[in-house]
Amino acid sequence: MTLRWRLAATTAAIALPVIAALAYVAIDTQKRALEEGMARFMVIHMQQGGRAACEASPESWRGWPPPGPAPPGGLPPRVPGGLYAYDRQLRSQNPDAPRLGDEWREAIDSGSASRRISLDGRETMGVLVRMPWSEGPCALLLAVRPPFVGPVSPFPPVQAWLLPGAVVLITVLLAVGPVVRRIRRLAREVQSSARAGYRTGVTVGGRDEVGELARAFDGAAVEIRTQMDRQEQRERTLRDFLENTTHDVMIPLTVLTGHLADMQDRALKGEPIAPDAVRSAVSEAHYMAALIHNLAAAAKLEAGAPAIGREPIQLGDLVDRAVARHRGLAARTSVALERALPDQPCWVRGDVTLVEQAVSNLVYNAIRFNRAGGHVAVVLELAGEAGFSLRVSDDGPGIPEAELARLVERGYRGDGARSRAPSGAGLGLHIARQVADVHGFRLRIARSEPGGLEVVLSGPVSPV
Amino acid sequence: MERILLIEDDEKLGSQIVGHLRAAGFDTIWWTEGESFDPERPPPVSLVILDLMLPGAYGLDILKALRTGSELPVLILSARNDTQDKVRALKLGADDYMTKPFWPEELIERVRARLRRPTMQPADLIEAGGLRVDLARREVEVDGRAVELTRVEFELLAALARRIDAPVTRRWLVENVLDPDREGNERTLDVHVSRLRKKLGQGGLIETVWGIGYRLRERA
Repeated sequence: MTLRWRLAATTAAIALPVIAALAYVAIDTQKRALEEGMARFMVIHMQQGGRAACEASPESWRGWPPPGPAPPGGLPPRVPGGLYAYDRQLRSQNPDAPRLGDEWREAIDSGSASRRISLDGRETMGVLVRMPWSEGPCALLLAVRPPFVGPVSPFPPVQAWLLPGAVVLITVLLAVGPVVRRIRRLAREVQSSARAGYRTGVTVGGRDEVGELARAFDGAAVEIRTQMDRQEQRERTLRDFLENTTHDVMIPLTVLTGHLADMQDRALKGEPIAPDAVRSAVSEAHYMAALIHNLAAAAKLEAGAPAIGREPIQLGDLVDRAVARHRGLAARTSVALERALPDQPCWVRGDVTLVEQAVSNLVYNAIRFNRAGGHVAVVLELAGEAGFSLRVSDDGPGIPEAELARLVERGYRGDGARSRAPSGAGLGLHIARQVADVHGFRLRIARSEPGGLEVVLSGPVSPV
Repeated sequence: MERILLIEDDEKLGSQIVGHLRAAGFDTIWWTEGESFDPERPPPVSLVILDLMLPGAYGLDILKALRTGSELPVLILSARNDTQDKVRALKLGADDYMTKPFWPEELIERVRARLRRPTMQPADLIEAGGLRVDLARREVEVDGRAVELTRVEFELLAALARRIDAPVTRRWLVENVLDPDREGNERTLDVHVSRLRKKLGQGGLIETVWGIGYRLRERA
């Protein structure tokens, strides 16, 4: 049901009974006026000779014909109803007169009474009027309306309600028109906005509820758009992650497969396996693991703040784990890896996975870009009460001045990370720097004393 | 022999870990699925290695069940680099966790570290190779022969002996061992160390650790 017809129906449902009630009131008023007029007429009629005629033959008097000369054209035909005479005890000498019960006695007190009465088995109205005299058989007169012939309608007459009802309905329909048109326009605009992925707003304005609805929709559309953008961003991050992971992992995996095939061939031929090939295979496998962890960390960093934890971390344990992760590689590539931790625990707040990955990257880079017989030192120190300092230094061949400058430069996302050149420290360092940034730590990269690299991660401690 | 329970669903990884543990001298029981624990009767092992990604029972549930009735050390293995998981595992009472992939020696090292009985009281008597350091009496012997040390030399040796096998930074030694009144610096530290080495001879194994400082080796 449309809004227009719902309003029309509601209006009809309320207005029609009201109109009907008003019509009944009008009819009732009319009836009373008639009753009064009749009483007055009968008194006058009786005083002007009617009383004498009635008292002369009370058993047959019906007040008809009226006294005086007969009207031209003869008398109208007799109909049931008319006048009947009663004495003060409500008795009539006319055998045709209806019997009156005690309920009519009020007429004797108040002058007149009007009630339903049954005549010839049919319901009609009767009015009993008291005459100014009280004795005789004609002290009370009952006027009975001839019974109505034909079906009796319980409804008020059509003309009483049809016109007002129609006027009200038409007014409502006309008044509701502009509102309906604006709502329809709003609906169309909402539909087209939805089709356009909620990129467009709606133009319906106004200070009324329709305007409010339009503004509410605009607000909801903005919210939906934001959510959709966020979702899209997440999906893109995930897709990129998958693509990058696949791309980046396939290269070391291919190299590793090559080494393993070579080793198998040699083993089958009974030849000794070249230690270099094994070392290379080992470091490829290790590189893959580091890469996947880093790409996961990158995805987490790109997802932003909500994904990043703020748990208390015991940095000493974390450094221990990060160093342990690479101890196997260090031993197999003949790099001495040592770490020193403070005696007391060192608590910081942050995301344990990200911080561990950052530290792990620093340690891994120091081992990976080193040479056989080289050293890596990892030292965690509490710098006074307020902060910690984690130093990762190596005595490897170091990196060219230009490369160092680029690594130190903020936001550098070395393409080398992807190219597997020795400059591939890019991704690991990039992650470490981003992790430092989101945690409010500082990452300083410099040349170490013997010419290798020294990276220092420092930040505030947060006692638990 | 210490017995270890490994709960790992992957056949290959499981058998590899069992091999490594046995080679390192541990008796190993291996469950391939998370069976439910009877909290009243924890398995008769000294340590549990638990993979979080088990099918059926979620690893964290096993950990919870295990923790309700016992203080067994639990080492978590996780392929997921999920912080929430780790934090939850540690909150539920895991003692340590390792992220896959890991080197076999790292696993063995972790297991050993968890099984080592914590020695809370620092022993007053420390022995390393032919070296004997009595911290209470401030006496040092090498191969049964008493060695005379200056105050600073003794403090230096004691500092290294208290953290035997772990490197101690030069800065810490300068700040905590050298006499602050006499302008101690890293160069004076090196002089003290070289004198100390000379006095201890072959029996005292003080190593220089690159980039950090010095370390006293427990055995050669």
